[in-house]
Amino acid sequence: MSTTLLSKAEKSFIQAGLLSNPPSRADGRSLHDFRTISLETSVAPLANGSARLSIGRNPYDGSGGTEVLAAAKLEVETIQHGSGGVEGGKIACSVTCSPAAYPHLSSAALEDLQYDMTTILQDTLTHPSLHPKNLGILSGKKSWLLNLDLVVLVDSGNVYDAIFMAARAALWDTKVPRTRSVEYKAKKSGTSGIVGGGGKAGDSGGDMDVDEEVVSGFDTRQIQKATDFELPDYWDEGEVLDGRQNWPICVTLNIVSPVHFLDATSQEEAATPLRVLLMISFDSSQSANIQGMRTLGNGELTVSQLTGLLKDGEKYAREIWQSLNTKLKEDNIGLIKEKNKF
Amino acid sequence: MTSSTIITNNSHARIVEFVSTLFAQHLAYTGMASRVEILNEGGFRSDGRRQFELRSINIDLSQQGHADGSASISHGLTHVLVSVFGPREAKNRSQTIHDRANLNVELSIAAFSTGDRRKRSRGDKRVMEVAGAIKSTFEPVIQTSLYPRSQIDIFVQVIQQDGGVLQACINATTLALISAGIPMVDFVCAISGGVHSTNPFLDLTLIEESDVPNLTIAVMPKTQKVSLVTMETRLHVDRYEEIFRLAIDAGLIIHEEMKAAVLARSKTLMTCIDLGTHGGEEME
Repeated sequence: MSTTLLSKAEKSFIQAGLLSNPPSRADGRSLHDFRTISLETSVAPLANGSARLSIGRNPYDGSGGTEVLAAAKLEVETIQHGSGGVEGGKIACSVTCSPAAYPHLSSAALEDLQYDMTTILQDTLTHPSLHPKNLGILSGKKSWLLNLDLVVLVDSGNVYDAIFMAARAALWDTKVPRTRSVEYKAKKSGTSGIVGGGGKAGDSGGDMDVDEEVVSGFDTRQIQKATDFELPDYWDEGEVLDGRQNWPICVTLNIVSPVHFLDATSQEEAATPLRVLLMISFDSSQSANIQGMRTLGNGELTVSQLTGLLKDGEKYAREIWQSLNTKLKEDNIGLIKEKNKF
Repeated sequence: MTSSTIITNNSHARIVEFVSTLFAQHLAYTGMASRVEILNEGGFRSDGRRQFELRSINIDLSQQGHADGSASISHGLTHVLVSVFGPREAKNRSQTIHDRANLNVELSIAAFSTGDRRKRSRGDKRVMEVAGAIKSTFEPVIQTSLYPRSQIDIFVQVIQQDGGVLQACINATTLALISAGIPMVDFVCAISGGVHSTNPFLDLTLIEESDVPNLTIAVMPKTQKVSLVTMETRLHVDRYEEIFRLAIDAGLIIHEEMKAAVLARSKTLMTCIDLGTHGGEEME
């Protein structure tokens, strides 16, 4: 889907520039250069994790460039038939585009675009191989629902790379509150067997036990006795998401046969017949996994071409991956320092 | 009530924001508002402000994307971004008006902007209402008759909310329209005010907003005309005038802040133009 209107002459001018030797682009970059990427984490105080990412923003007056805001928010869900909760928790992504990012699109077209972006992000991030292990609270009863919301504020090209990088940064930044399971039991002497009444806890101190295995003489079944949970330390932010290293990033390869280039501006995107999105993640042993792939546009691609592209894509992804990790780790240290000030 | 009693505070704003962030997080998890003292005996509010103290205001007028004019403003933890496009040809021909420009206001609220996540669609009642309020506030202020058969698009994005969303939207829209160079009669400066028993106060946070009767007004500082008054709660008639007058005074203070931001922005732009025309020779 082209989001910028371009005349035939402009298109062929841009394509000729890309195909010439040496290739020339409007902003003087070489084919495989990225614009500057700037990233800031923990920008939304009400979210559990958030990030603001921009590609190609002018560092002096803060103008121009693609800009994406991502925030992860945790919600408690009850696991019950019909209530949506899933054992082990789940992740729900949504992408919203500000109408200011696509000023010439009608609201219906904008909705379609949003839907496309949401689907690609959701399909990639909710893959079982990436699911974090610490989104469960009480087995069979409660779990976390992680809502990952992205807002595209400005699109100046290469929005998919920006979305995935912002999503990754926000998930990296996400802290899951620590929980402790709570269980209610009847008084030993009493025969009434009141279970669950939260209000009864205040009657006597011994009414509520925390994390203690109680063996009832009657009950021989192996069931979870914990009925509810509490936050042991409210002021503590919690622990990071499990497996946060593994969240994938996206590399968009813009193909003007026979060459391909990276980080297209919106004009270049409009002049590119085919774009290939590669969602790649790297595990601890640094081997690459393809988590998703998508082609956009009406161009054609041969299988042999694709193999070459995959190889190149992996190389680019590795570079982005490494610099993103470095930046996120730096941010982490910065935040800890900031916190210790108080 | 003199306007000198109203101050914008930037000094301990950091601490104030930190405290209210933690508090909002707390509300989000526990899902209940523990009884908060709206105004304690020492005359302080829940976030440490005095009665007539406004939250810190941050204004950024740098260009956002392809917009003709844009502004982002934050009143404390409430953060709003506005982009203005136009005057331009309307996307939808049927929306054009033969003797003046049509204002098109679209509001979107980020799902993560509140304590409890909530995704509001374009057709949401609340969204329509705020967008309608913005439109009717600006219709008499913008000189629409200069641009017949055209459209001015105002896209409002709420990034964070902690009370006073409408006021932030209106203030940001004023600034964005100014930075787009659209002729207006005057600034429009909005502010919210409330009353706790008999004590009026200004610039309410979310906690205060949900607890006390409050109203939002928009003033045009030059003429001191009021272009918007909204109130969704009940307020005693005897209290109304006091809070209304106080809010007008506060609107004038906000005007000062907005004017300073616009002047600072114009100054940087003028310097750039000078550099361009004289090649920087006359720079000191």
